[in-house]
Amino acid sequence: MVNKTRLYWTLQIGGWATYAAFQIVTYVLSGSGIRTQRLLSFVIEAILCLLITHYYRNYINQRKWLSMGLPKLIRYVLAAVLLMGITTYFLRIPFSIALGTFNPANAFDPEKMVTGIISYTVFFFLWSVLHFMYNYFERYNKSLQLEASIKEIELSNLKSQLNPHFIFNALNSIRALVDENPTKAKHAINQLSSILRNSLVTEKRGLTSFEDELKLVRDYLGLESIRFEERLKTDFDLDPESKDFMVPPLMIQTLVENGIKHGISKLTEGGLVQIKTKVEGDHLKIHIRNSGKFVVNGHKKESGGGLGLENTRQRLKLIYGDEASFRILTEKDNFVLTEIIIPHLY
Amino acid sequence: MKALIVDDERLARKELIKLLEEHPSIEIAGEAMNADEAEKMIEELNPDLLFLDIQMPGRTGFQLLESLDSAPLVVFTTAYDEFALKAFEVNALDYLLKPITAERLAEAVHKIQDKEKTKSGRPRDKKLDLEDQVFVKDGERCWFVSLANIRLFESDGNYIKVYFDTNRPMIHKSLNALDEKLDERAFFRASRKHIINLSWVEGIEPWFNGGLMVKLRGGDKVEVSRRQAAKFKDMMSL
Repeated sequence: MVNKTRLYWTLQIGGWATYAAFQIVTYVLSGSGIRTQRLLSFVIEAILCLLITHYYRNYINQRKWLSMGLPKLIRYVLAAVLLMGITTYFLRIPFSIALGTFNPANAFDPEKMVTGIISYTVFFFLWSVLHFMYNYFERYNKSLQLEASIKEIELSNLKSQLNPHFIFNALNSIRALVDENPTKAKHAINQLSSILRNSLVTEKRGLTSFEDELKLVRDYLGLESIRFEERLKTDFDLDPESKDFMVPPLMIQTLVENGIKHGISKLTEGGLVQIKTKVEGDHLKIHIRNSGKFVVNGHKKESGGGLGLENTRQRLKLIYGDEASFRILTEKDNFVLTEIIIPHLY
Repeated sequence: MKALIVDDERLARKELIKLLEEHPSIEIAGEAMNADEAEKMIEELNPDLLFLDIQMPGRTGFQLLESLDSAPLVVFTTAYDEFALKAFEVNALDYLLKPITAERLAEAVHKIQDKEKTKSGRPRDKKLDLEDQVFVKDGERCWFVSLANIRLFESDGNYIKVYFDTNRPMIHKSLNALDEKLDERAFFRASRKHIINLSWVEGIEPWFNGGLMVKLRGGDKVEVSRRQAAKFKDMMSL
């Protein structure tokens, strides 16, 4: 704010001083001799213009002309600058009288009057143009910044995080495994620590490589298999070119977890989770299938079911705009298909 | 005392059984891996205590409890779950967060034994009396309510409204079925619509058509139909 005020006064004083200097130089060069009164009148004229535009600015700010529509603003500005031109012209008269340079024949000659007023008006108009251009530009800049920071906040809110429920269940299974199968228990601890490490690293990143995400998903499924045992079957069918793609971290994991939470874990007999990828042109198509049924806005408010999917959708939109797509649907044979298509980003 | 473990994960059941080895007072009568299995086993084994997981395939632990006439002592076992924890805030004997620690389990067992002392073992087929508890759930809130605290059951369509404290949650049962289960020395069928807890009766007034108006502590008023009025007078005069 302080900077802005200082900038304003620098421009205002500097601008009108230049105006006065220019007038004086032109006058001197015209060779009509140097008269102090004449020079003084130019300075007074510049000061008058400075004061008038200053009050004009206050008035504009007070009446919030900046938020006016452009057609209305142009009309108001034209009227204002004309009024200011006339005012300045007549305000000069008492000063000329005081300085003894007043010449009624000259001052009230219609032709001279019109040229005088118009020249002031033009200067005030230019002043207005600069003023509004500066403010519009600044406002646009601000809104851009705001938009960027909003987007950043939204994205970080939407970022997937590991579900604590999963972590505690995994730890519980591992505890039991320690007695039953120590080797398997050790392996499970490695998987869990790898997941935790990965998720800590990638949470900070905007995108992660498909391979890293896939490793995390494999570790995740490995741990869930310990918990669900023969009730969880997994299947991978991956396009080798998938590894060239970047994906939002933990997104596939979240969707797989969704499939387990709302699909497999609800089925007494358990079921299958299948992850399939296909590269088509510049896009990566990811299919996650799980046994179960997709209930749209299920009658029960379950912790974050629908919200999770909505987050994924918004997150894709924020990162990729309309380039990515996301859908979830029930297929025949009691399978739920989740499909994400994301573009190649480089 | 006899306990039944209900959890869909084999390893979770195994771990709990292992931990319970330290507590010989608790005899594990069986393991169930879902609500349906548990319901059958509860009927057969009549356990005093349930270790109950909440999230299970098919019906949840809450739904299992809702389907039981009277709830045994229950210790919930669950991994971190905001939804479940909120429900526990209301009241529950106890809950154990997975992975379960030996110390925490010991505390829970201690609580169970305290509770057990106040409650003499209930023979099978005995009617529900004031010492029994029922499990009721209303949206996200749930309660184990001692029958002694329930002053009134009111039928409402296919549901029964259960009056206790300032709450009136609904249970999905018929009033006739409930009436058969309740001990007639403690509860009285006032009319087609109402069953009252006799220990809550505060005043009785004659009413139209030879009926009675019963005032309960807390201010609720219930009409006793003419048909039941004579029986009611008999009971109260004892």
